[in-house]
Amino acid sequence: MKTDTAAVPASAATFEPRITAFVCNWCTYAGADLAGTSRLQYAPNMRIIKLPCTGRIDPLFVLKAFENGADAVLVSGCHPGDCHYTSGNYHARRRWTMFRKLLAMTGIDDDRLFFSWVSAAEGQKFADLVNDVTAKVRKAGPFRASNPGRKEC
Amino acid sequence: MLAALRDAAKKLLDEKRAVLVIGYADRAGRPALFASKPEDCGRLVYDASCRQNLAAYLGKPEVRARMPVAIVAPPAVLRSIVVLTAESQVATGQVLALAVDQDSFLGTFDAAAAAELLRAKYPALGPAPDLLERVQGLSKKSAAERAAFWAEEFTKCTRCYACRAACPGCYCTRCIVEKNAPQWVSTAALGHGNYTWNVMRAFHQSGRCTLCGACEAACPQGLPLMTLNALLDREALEEFDARPGYDPQAKPFIGSWDAQDDHSYMR
Repeated sequence: MKTDTAAVPASAATFEPRITAFVCNWCTYAGADLAGTSRLQYAPNMRIIKLPCTGRIDPLFVLKAFENGADAVLVSGCHPGDCHYTSGNYHARRRWTMFRKLLAMTGIDDDRLFFSWVSAAEGQKFADLVNDVTAKVRKAGPFRASNPGRKEC
Repeated sequence: MLAALRDAAKKLLDEKRAVLVIGYADRAGRPALFASKPEDCGRLVYDASCRQNLAAYLGKPEVRARMPVAIVAPPAVLRSIVVLTAESQVATGQVLALAVDQDSFLGTFDAAAAAELLRAKYPALGPAPDLLERVQGLSKKSAAERAAFWAEEFTKCTRCYACRAACPGCYCTRCIVEKNAPQWVSTAALGHGNYTWNVMRAFHQSGRCTLCGACEAACPQGLPLMTLNALLDREALEEFDARPGYDPQAKPFIGSWDAQDDHSYMR
């Protein structure tokens, strides 16, 4: 999960958000695929990392993304009740409810950390989501200066 | 009070109901006292300066080899014993609690009886008012101010892991921070590794922390670790109605789920 942090432009005028997305294989990734095959155009700022299930997304992944200079992180998976592994997203949901509060307390607010449910049929929702998240992060600006967990060297 | 505590401990050793009694010693700093002979029990004390959570010893192999064990337990430690029982870390009947509070010795309890005592006598233990104020004060600040506050605090961390050693909840034989293939948490005492370590340490206690305060008391750098623990404690209570340490049969908080769990923040 190494990202090239040197390429991040410093000035706000040319700021292009780097957003890391952790998505599940069965719903959101398929939804992203559908957005692509449907020729939907959306912001190119998101780097997708596909995992088997949202239940596989350890909070450490999110911290690692921020550590390596992500301006925001998106976590997305199947709608409740639709998990390919029956309950992976339910497990994930409880974990995120606690984790996002902890991150907010330490200075990573909900303009940096996003959660969503996107099904395999929701290509349009995925495209809209990416556009919306990108716009929000663009407005929030680069996370370099205020990111409490960013790698220093 | 002390006489009653010492007598009860002595009796447990005399009657061989316990092989070892772990308590607080009558020395400055109140270190742990390991009494395996009845005559050692005369050195047991309990007062407000006893900050260690003695349930942390229940995970140590040296203690596990000398079960059944009795430990001197103020309310937060009673909760830790119940949590460890719920998490299958101590077997039923292997751990007895010599329950104490600030004024009196309350008796000898196993995990189930300890849970009953807690429900009857301390049904709603939570963060102390000054601790809640710390949480609320920080919550009111802006994200940048919060980030700056914690960056400043975490800079002091020397990664001695005294917080981990002091905590009965941190019983993994191999901690994530010691795994290096891949290295998830940088072990250098620098900003990013310190941030990740402290955030993960707190997160792993969510829905399990009994607010004993041993981690913060053990921290040689004086980090306000309990602020994070208290935040998660309130969150677990408000969102999931979870109070760890009141039910020895409780399902694991993070390892379980409910279809009705809130997800209003999900888009």
